[in-house]
Amino acid sequence: MTAEEIFSCLEEKFGAKRETLDKWSVTAVLSATYLRNAVEFLRDGDAAKFEMLVDIAGIDYLTYPNHEGPRFAVAYALKSISNPGLRIRLKVLVGEDNLKVPTISDLYANANWYEREVYDQFGIVFDGHPDLRRLLNHVEFVGHPLRKDYPAQKRQWLSTNDYLLPELEKRLQDLGYRVIQRSKEVETNDNEFLEGSIKE
Amino acid sequence: MGNEAEKPSIITSSLDFLVNWGRTNSLWPFPYGTACCAIEFMSTEVGRYDLSRIGSEYVRFTPRQSDVLLVSGTITYKQAPILKRIYEQMAEPRWVIAMGACACSGGFYDCYCTVPGIDHIIPVDVYIGGCPSRPEAFFDAMFDLQKKIKDESYMKQRAEQVKDQLEMIKAKTAEAKANAKAFAQEKVTDIKDFVVEKEQNIVKKAQFWKE
Repeated sequence: MTAEEIFSCLEEKFGAKRETLDKWSVTAVLSATYLRNAVEFLRDGDAAKFEMLVDIAGIDYLTYPNHEGPRFAVAYALKSISNPGLRIRLKVLVGEDNLKVPTISDLYANANWYEREVYDQFGIVFDGHPDLRRLLNHVEFVGHPLRKDYPAQKRQWLSTNDYLLPELEKRLQDLGYRVIQRSKEVETNDNEFLEGSIKE
Repeated sequence: MGNEAEKPSIITSSLDFLVNWGRTNSLWPFPYGTACCAIEFMSTEVGRYDLSRIGSEYVRFTPRQSDVLLVSGTITYKQAPILKRIYEQMAEPRWVIAMGACACSGGFYDCYCTVPGIDHIIPVDVYIGGCPSRPEAFFDAMFDLQKKIKDESYMKQRAEQVKDQLEMIKAKTAEAKANAKAFAQEKVTDIKDFVVEKEQNIVKKAQFWKE
């Protein structure tokens, strides 16, 4: 299946629109409701097999010239390995009032951390993500630094090391280990430490 | 003791010389490498430049066995508490070298995530410029550090430490004395009250038997 056929398929099935401004014209704009279906179709479809998720990127259109519509967007770059050279980019527009996109971390394993990064830098919440915490910034960080209205030189100090023990324990328990005894200094309330990373 | 040690005499100055000679010629670095300056440090350490010529024979990967904390690379805010903890774990005497533009001033990362110079977190002895610094510059910094160490006086530091300790001991003994005094006074008042009570009881009893 060539790129044109895939685009016509996407337009028919999921109501996607082709981006006109794109330099290589490989971008399809989708609504968030059909995103999972479209990604599933592209991954497991008959001829078009996009085995590789290259990147997930957040976009803030706040200061973009001549832009109308929702403020944010999430772009998914997909690449085919069985069809060398075939690439496609899906874009989902996200309004400021409803910052929610369905997760695709169960379809592509590497989407887990990409989505965490987008959440960290733009504040876009991925519905159904198993572990949506900040990835690059520390837990005491307030705000989302890659938004255009965040002052780029505003610095925020971290008072103590990131507390990673609950995550570690969870992972060890998945592997069959269990906690017998904790020393006193690490026995803390998990919610206290992770509050800053999960809530807005 | 403090006053005697501050005066230079034959014993103290030669002891200073001995201690400083030992310290200058066995500066073991702890490489806190986070960026390309650490690669440059590797080439400083091995064959061609050979840092062990001036006594930095071993690179120690534990803060407890090293003398020089060598911060080579960008330090982010997420990392700052870790760097501070490592500095605190090092045994005195300890020195810090900030290697490269990033560690000195944040470099060109003028943004939300980079610490603008590690001197916001820990005290720095020697700064090296460059992005990344050349091994020659690193050697220069080590020579500067050695000069600095040669000027330090072990006996003076020791005397200051002893002074501090003496003051601390004095303060603690005074506190303990005050505590003991207060405790004794409390006891004395308690006993007095007890005796007064007893006397009153006896008086009451005597009155009862009289009646």
